[in-house]
Amino acid sequence: MTRPKIRFERVTKRYGALTVLDGLDFEVAEGEVVTVIGPSGSGKTTVLRVLMTLEGIQDGVIWVSGEPLNMMHSKGGLVPASKAHIRKIRSRIGMVFQNFNLFPHMTALENCIEAPIQSLGLSKAEAVERAMELLTMVGLTDKRDQYPSQLSGGQQQRVAIARALAMRPETILFDEPTSALDPEMVGEVLSVIRELAAEHSYTILMVTHQMGFAREISDRVCFFDGGKIVEQGPPDDIFGNPQNPRLQQFLSKVLEAR
Amino acid sequence: MTFRLAAIAALIAFLFGLTVATFSELRVFLPALLRGATVTIEISIMSALLFWAMSFIAGIGRLNPIAPIRWASTVYIEVFRGTSLLVILFWFFFVLPSFGVVLTPTQAAVLGLGLNFGAYGAEVVRGAVTAVPSGQKEASAALNIPDWKCMLRIVIPQAIPVAIPGLSNLTIEMIKATALVSAVTLVDITFASVQQNQIHYRTLDIFLVALIIYYCFSQLIRFGGAILEARTTRHLARGQ
Amino acid sequence: MMDWRWDFTFDVVLPRLWEAAGITVYATVVSFAFALVGGLILMLLKMSAFKPISFVASEVIEFIRGTPLLVQIFFLFFVLPQVGITLPPLTTGIMAIAIYNSALTAEVYRAGLQAVPRGQWEAAVALNLSPYRTFRKIIIPQSLPPIVPALGNYLIAIFKETPLLSFVAVGEIMHASKLIGSEYYRFNEAVTIAGIFFLVMSLVSAALVRAAENYVKRSILH
Repeated sequence: MTRPKIRFERVTKRYGALTVLDGLDFEVAEGEVVTVIGPSGSGKTTVLRVLMTLEGIQDGVIWVSGEPLNMMHSKGGLVPASKAHIRKIRSRIGMVFQNFNLFPHMTALENCIEAPIQSLGLSKAEAVERAMELLTMVGLTDKRDQYPSQLSGGQQQRVAIARALAMRPETILFDEPTSALDPEMVGEVLSVIRELAAEHSYTILMVTHQMGFAREISDRVCFFDGGKIVEQGPPDDIFGNPQNPRLQQFLSKVLEAR
Repeated sequence: MTFRLAAIAALIAFLFGLTVATFSELRVFLPALLRGATVTIEISIMSALLFWAMSFIAGIGRLNPIAPIRWASTVYIEVFRGTSLLVILFWFFFVLPSFGVVLTPTQAAVLGLGLNFGAYGAEVVRGAVTAVPSGQKEASAALNIPDWKCMLRIVIPQAIPVAIPGLSNLTIEMIKATALVSAVTLVDITFASVQQNQIHYRTLDIFLVALIIYYCFSQLIRFGGAILEARTTRHLARGQ
Repeated sequence: MMDWRWDFTFDVVLPRLWEAAGITVYATVVSFAFALVGGLILMLLKMSAFKPISFVASEVIEFIRGTPLLVQIFFLFFVLPQVGITLPPLTTGIMAIAIYNSALTAEVYRAGLQAVPRGQWEAAVALNLSPYRTFRKIIIPQSLPPIVPALGNYLIAIFKETPLLSFVAVGEIMHASKLIGSEYYRFNEAVTIAGIFFLVMSLVSAALVRAAENYVKRSILH
């Protein structure tokens, strides 16, 4: 087996008395497309948030390409990571949010060049060139000078994907990327993600409620419940032949709601 | 819209008053009041610059992760909000010299007004900064933008339109508060009115003109604040 | 370093400021009481269904709010005697502060009433409640939580405005410090202690206002 791109080692995350991740062990291989499903409150979004370092963890180690993220090597041991270390490792990961979180005071293009200029130190010309390529990929070159408030939800999420890709991450996290969208806009966002997944040049970790889509694009599906992975495997097994009763119950509820 | 109408009405009233003044006995005291008005304007502009700067410095300082910066901002805000402006002005002018710091009347007035209103403004700015959705900071972190650049380029630009109404109200309050600067021997509109009243004994005319001048200043700031707010929120105006 | 004399502080400054503090507190409480009532009247006039009255009331409020309190104090102080009304300076000062703050509290009342959702009025009509019961039982309890802290803040603001009365020779705390300063040519002790007095009182009252705010929230909205 190749070295995992992402590895959670006994990761525990608590909010006060509530344990959200309970000694989680979890791996994602390079180029793999992994989808996380599960009931709300199962900790599935938390996996993405701690990996993006939006939230700290109480115990365990998260490894990115064999390097610790929340810890760092020092004098032969592991110590809590410095800000600089976190920033260095974190730069390999990009994230797309449920609510887009575009910068409302910047145009689509400005959203995409802000971080490459401010964080990677690209010149404006380089950043614009890179951003225009990505806006072309998501089909929004004509919207480059529009502000987020002038774009539809689907267009905003496509800009957000381009913005994340502009940082040239190796891993991309999608946190329920279509949950805040009107139904008619889900398709345009999914087709962009589908394109990225097909390339297999990115490692993709996605939380979603779109079961059909998860089945279609994933190499592996993980079912989360109670802060742990209850069942995981190829999508056809998970959806076609679920073993765990909780997964069976979850799937029947989700399919019923259709 | 009402601001616009009020501002225009105020200007017309002012010009009308000016015309009447030119051709009546009001002209015996009007020049002195207008000289006072230039002092008021001068003090207002300088104090406002200090007040706005302090609002941002202390308001953002209060949210700083470094504890001593946070404490210093909190102490500044509580002390200058807790004391009365007149006491502050007196203290700067009469007590500070015994620390070896001798201020001119203008310096004392500008420092007193600017620091006093800066403490109120800091709370407005703090509120506006905390009102920026947390998703904005998360997006910046996900894009690996350093914290201070996130504050400067992502958070503050979004906080400014939110802070403008509060800051423009405070600016109006500050201009009204310049009426106190006679405490440090400056001859502004208010003190000029008192002096002219003692000379000419035309109390009603003199103080009405003074009130109208202040009212015009207030309306101008209100008008300006509304324009500024509209301009800075222009790209947010259209809903999704 | 600062020139500070403790004997002077204890023998002269503190006793005289203590006396003057009584006038400061008196002026604060009385003007606040009048401002509470005055604001209610101005608010009712502003919300009057008769357009000219509501127009004049809102313009008057706007004018009072748009001009400095100190000039209004001078105005009353000099104009009232000329029209034959002679009042002690303290009374004139309290009047000015009360009128000025009435314009501000009127807005507080209005905002509080408007914060009650329209559906509450409609529900009261649908339940056929009398106007008195609608106000007493439905509207006022719901509008108090935003009104109480705002009024409390105006009480603190009035307290900090009372030094303006020293301009018309009312013997409140700032005037007393000025007098001590000019009698003894020493400002340090009196002005500093006046400042500390205001700071401590403001911090204490701010804490009280927060307590009142929490009390109202807890006792009315469960």
